[in-house]
Amino acid sequence: MKRTLPFVVPTALLLALPLLRIDARDYVLQVLTLLFLNIVLAQSYDMVGGTMGYINLGHIAFFGLGAYALGILYNAGVPFVPAVALAVLAVMAFAALISYPFFRLRGAYFALAAFGLVKLMEYVTINLNWLTGGSNGLKIDPANRTVPMYLVSLAVVVIVLLASWVISRSRLGLAMKSIREDEEVARDFGVPTRLVKTQALVVSSIFPAVMGAFYTWYINFIDPGQVFGLKIALTPVAMAMLGGSGLVIGPVVGAIVLYMAEEVIWTQFDELHGAMLGGVIVVVGLFMPGGLMRLRPLDALLGRLGWREDDR
Amino acid sequence: MDLAILVQLLINGILLGGVYAMAAVGLSLIFGVSGVLNLAHGEFLMLSGFFVYVVYDRLGLNPFLAVALVAPCFFVVGYLFEMGLIRPLALRKEHVRLASATLVTLGVALIVEDATSFASLGGSFEKSVDIFVPTLVLGTVFLPSLKLVIFAVVLALIAALFLFLKYTYIGLAVQAVTQNRRGAVLNGVNTFRINAIAFGIGTFMAAAAGGFEVIHSAVAPDIGLPLTLKYLSIIVMGGLGSFAGVALGGVIIGLGEALVGFYNPAWGQTVAYLLLVAILLVRPKGLLGK
Repeated sequence: MKRTLPFVVPTALLLALPLLRIDARDYVLQVLTLLFLNIVLAQSYDMVGGTMGYINLGHIAFFGLGAYALGILYNAGVPFVPAVALAVLAVMAFAALISYPFFRLRGAYFALAAFGLVKLMEYVTINLNWLTGGSNGLKIDPANRTVPMYLVSLAVVVIVLLASWVISRSRLGLAMKSIREDEEVARDFGVPTRLVKTQALVVSSIFPAVMGAFYTWYINFIDPGQVFGLKIALTPVAMAMLGGSGLVIGPVVGAIVLYMAEEVIWTQFDELHGAMLGGVIVVVGLFMPGGLMRLRPLDALLGRLGWREDDR
Repeated sequence: MDLAILVQLLINGILLGGVYAMAAVGLSLIFGVSGVLNLAHGEFLMLSGFFVYVVYDRLGLNPFLAVALVAPCFFVVGYLFEMGLIRPLALRKEHVRLASATLVTLGVALIVEDATSFASLGGSFEKSVDIFVPTLVLGTVFLPSLKLVIFAVVLALIAALFLFLKYTYIGLAVQAVTQNRRGAVLNGVNTFRINAIAFGIGTFMAAAAGGFEVIHSAVAPDIGLPLTLKYLSIIVMGGLGSFAGVALGGVIIGLGEALVGFYNPAWGQTVAYLLLVAILLVRPKGLLGK
């Protein structure tokens, strides 16, 4: 009970938020929805990037693919719920398909090939005018879906956190960590590394795919630069590292901190937002190699809550 | 297809690929020595392009002279960049070091890009140098002499780097650190200094490429990261650590962009990434990687 309380209470409060009847309600919900999106992306990135040690700079490809798949299916007349299911299945199939060739690569090669994949998809969506609307983007029937999107995002955040937690203490999670520490040794000890890597990638692709599909539905309009862009591709990675890559609690903390920092920078200063964000990222890289949650005071706090993970 | 057009496209592609290859060689040198994927590489290129423009615009110097003035300064920039921001990461565990170096260089890239557009060295506008050089005509093929001059300088610089690596103490030390850092330390090489020198040289190559970029086309504050990615594609495609591979990768991308771009401009920019993914899938360590 003591261990779950710090998780259940905020969730319940956030769940009750749409009941508020204040003027700024929709604005608050929209800000939180974007935060939730960032949490889901960072958390699911970290399944492969942190737990397994493969820096997957192409994680956002799953998000963009889910977003476009839903937009195309929905516009083709498929009802919404089956369209989401189909989009997510398509992304999972895609993840399984690319896992074989991409996981032949290691380290920097893997990171860059995955990133190349994102750029490739951005240009392909721009060029396949007839299917995706090209650089003009893709529209679906507009509607205000702030409240349902908020609830869906909250649900996905809860699910992705639970999934990370379950994976971190499962056999699969252990196999992933052993791959991170030393892949050859893991294989010699009988870990089916190829299968584990594929499973990890497919599981981590589900969450961005779901968020991508709902994102199109929520925002009504997507274009390639928005869902495959540099910023959205790299921010979740920076968030996960800021919070503590490889810890269950790390990416979510990093996402909250970096998102808030960004909001403060945008509202308090007129100029040089990008430079300030860059400064924050440099400081994290220089002084916090393990991320915020591995700093001593926060680590002690985790210990008191009974949440500490012994991952090193 | 018309043979003359093909020859023309091949020439354009190779000339384009030369400048790509030079900046990519710099990046490859940095990666080889320090193991850092320097995401700020393209930003130094862009910054140097702007300085070349300013020197040309304010002082009225010949743009090539401006490059010769500006690029060496970037050796110092790269050297200090390594000393201040990369060296503190040196003793971390392998995958932590890769991650933190990625963060640091990404952050620097964002800062440089934003500061450049803020400092209104260019606003968000493109800057380019007006220089008129007559085009050579050989039969039905046009040789843009400006690009030929640039290509010659690029070749000279790459050759100079090659000789430097082969025949000087520092060059040999750079190669030694690339092959085996621990072995180099045991043989008395000051690896920290070699790291900084490699960053200096690599940044110098990027700066020179930036100068040529502003001469033969244009620079804008936001070209840095996309260019870095293109160079990273080139060195990964060729095989990390192999100079011949980098040169090959640069020329392949240049040719691919010229050929595809001619028939369908929209797909021209896609070629680099398509080739990258395709080549890595067939050869996981790049074309000439070991």
